[in-house]
Amino acid sequence: MVHSVGIVTSGGPGAESEAGTRPAGSTSFERRGHVAALIAHRHRRPGGRVYTALRWGGVLIFVAVVVSLVVSLVWQAAPAFRHSGFSFIFSGTWDPDTEKFGAGVFIVDTLLTTGLGLLMAIPVGIATAVALSEFLPRRLAGPLSTAIDLLAAVPSIVVGLWALLILVPVFERDVEPFLQKIPLVRHLFTGEDLGTGILLASVVLAVMMLPTMVALTRVALRGVSVADREAALALGGTQWQVVRRAVIPGARSGIEAAITLAMGRALGEAIAVSLVIGGGVSLPHSLLDTGTTLGSAVVNFFSESSGIQRSAVIGLVVVLLAFTAVANIGGQLLIRPRRSRGYERAEPEEVAPTGEGAPA
Amino acid sequence: MQTITESDPSGGSRGHRRVLGLVKVAAVLAAAALITAACGSSSPSATKKSSNKNASASTTTTTSAAASTTTSTTATTAKPATATVKAATATTTTAKPATPTNAAASTPGGSLSTGLTSTPSAALTGIGSSSIVPFYGKALYEYHAANSAVTVNYSGSGSGPGVTAIEQNTASFGQSETPMTAAQLAASKGPVLQVPVDLGGVSLSYHLSGVAGGLKLNGPVLAQIYLRQITTWNDPAIAALNPGVNLPNENIIPVFRTDTSGPGYDVDQYLIDTSTAWTSAIGTTSPSTTWPTAGRASGDTGEDLNAGVATYIQETEGAIGYVEYSYALQANFTNAAVANPAGAYVTPSVGTIANAGAQAASLSATNFNIINAAGAQAYPLANFSWALVYQKQASTNTGIVLGKLFQWIITTAQGYSSGLGYAPLPANAVAVAHQTLLGLETSSGSPIFTN
Repeated sequence: MVHSVGIVTSGGPGAESEAGTRPAGSTSFERRGHVAALIAHRHRRPGGRVYTALRWGGVLIFVAVVVSLVVSLVWQAAPAFRHSGFSFIFSGTWDPDTEKFGAGVFIVDTLLTTGLGLLMAIPVGIATAVALSEFLPRRLAGPLSTAIDLLAAVPSIVVGLWALLILVPVFERDVEPFLQKIPLVRHLFTGEDLGTGILLASVVLAVMMLPTMVALTRVALRGVSVADREAALALGGTQWQVVRRAVIPGARSGIEAAITLAMGRALGEAIAVSLVIGGGVSLPHSLLDTGTTLGSAVVNFFSESSGIQRSAVIGLVVVLLAFTAVANIGGQLLIRPRRSRGYERAEPEEVAPTGEGAPA
Repeated sequence: MQTITESDPSGGSRGHRRVLGLVKVAAVLAAAALITAACGSSSPSATKKSSNKNASASTTTTTSAAASTTTSTTATTAKPATATVKAATATTTTAKPATPTNAAASTPGGSLSTGLTSTPSAALTGIGSSSIVPFYGKALYEYHAANSAVTVNYSGSGSGPGVTAIEQNTASFGQSETPMTAAQLAASKGPVLQVPVDLGGVSLSYHLSGVAGGLKLNGPVLAQIYLRQITTWNDPAIAALNPGVNLPNENIIPVFRTDTSGPGYDVDQYLIDTSTAWTSAIGTTSPSTTWPTAGRASGDTGEDLNAGVATYIQETEGAIGYVEYSYALQANFTNAAVANPAGAYVTPSVGTIANAGAQAASLSATNFNIINAAGAQAYPLANFSWALVYQKQASTNTGIVLGKLFQWIITTAQGYSSGLGYAPLPANAVAVAHQTLLGLETSSGSPIFTN
């Protein structure tokens, strides 16, 4: 079992197809000999070379597309950057009539909606994934997981229209007046109840992030080895303790990757957000204020723009790309050192539960 | 050894899996076929088919020909098919009230004739205004039905892309709610002809239970609503304009277009013309397709596209916003009566929008503004939409097809406008458009058409 998996991953698609045709007549290979023969065989056959060329060709095309995209975007945004300088990022005034282009408000709104969305999505997402992979019976978890995977494929315009048709009236009539009545919390929700606004945009982003987060987290949780689970069980852990002490720490890097990917989607989301965020262009004073994110600004301002204004809108895309890149790279940097540390820490804690004196 | 024996049973069951997989694929295909069949039976083309059956006699040839239009198979069956579609549209247009279709054709519109030989077949692409989409959707469909050799793909991605497409010569024609500016013309690759092709309006629609349509609003009050100086519907300023109307104590939610838009430009122009509070708040006297920052005050909310604004108004008590009249008509909205310079309060309708268009006595690409037009029953929020084509056509054949298409649009196709919430082009606009189309030239600079 392990053996054949090794062949597939080392040999790529070429070896995989050959492995499929091979076993029939060759039952008496010794393990290592089998692998070596397969690899040698792959290199002898012209098909292997074609696959190698395809692989490298694919990589080169991909790199060329990404590089040309970034270069052309920066190139087209350059006039606006020259025009506005640093105020492009730090100024909060976006006024095409007087040619003032400051993305400050859009940046704040983007970070605010994504952050709030993550706050809502992370606990719900992880809880759902844990329930699906650890607690619910297979018969129920299977269909539910499929349903969640399907949700991930729902186009954002559909999510946006659903929010506009269903959530806006509910928020305007019920949710927002209710939030304004809660002591202390209500100071976050001052202003008019419009339905649309930063709060609803965050909710929509959370809804859009959930399927990605649940699907990837579930995969990460299931990837934790049976041995780890059994070890924790053997030490007398309850099902919940096994999950908390062994499964979640073991899947930590996968969960963080899931969050990073979901966050990337939320940062760049345009259509659904622009339908529900309300298009305000001043700094928000309340979570009920309307706003404009980088993505929704591109949707809203690109179509009728020309000249320096178009350049500025493309500048917004460049800023967005930079944010996504920082988020992804930052996420990876955070994950890498923690993966080993988290795992090492998880193990001793795992041993500890029955005996006292777990290392701090 | 063990690994191989382990992999063998999976190989043995592979056959079963393949069968299962085939069954699954078949099930999916069957479901897809069912879905397409279901959609087909409810699509407009299918209803057209049935109306054809009712309209023209119950001969078997008619129905089969009509069926072949929807699939558009061979050229031989397409001919009788177009004839039946024409017949069907004739019956549907006469069923609608007031269609001065053929009257326009006999007015200065005239006809375009050409001595140049051509094959009247072409695939054209158009990009531009989204406000005209309902009109073009109908008109271009009918044109293709009558001239199967000509296909036109129109993409309503906004007036800006329409202008850009012309500047960079990436489409057969562009479409813009306002004519191109001098700077845009200078940036183009040659002289551009600008043809007025439809006349539309912008409605101020509101959602206020217990208040019927026709609530009176003027520029100053509307400006104060968007600037959040008036925040409830029973404000004395609104009550003063509407004596006898029982206004509820409901918060006003003003809705604007977050994206750039032609309707926003029209309302901006109207407020600039009528309210000094507005001009001082926005700090300029030139209208913008981007809704001004001052009109996005806390308490205002924005939506994307005509459809977004329409949906928000539909769902929210107390909301008011501006949408292309065509969309307001479809959604059956209650619309405000807007003050015009004659002091009358006018609700949008095909008739009042036509009255505004009639005020454009000396219409041209530089004198196009009919916002706040004079005339007792002229609706103050109306505008012409402009098709943009290069004067010199690289392909003479394309030039001929374009000319004939637009000649048809400014005359015969105007019959479709009133049913969709647009006004038919007034005679002088048709004359301007026709005269402009006569300016089309071949690449060597000789005129393509004569009158």
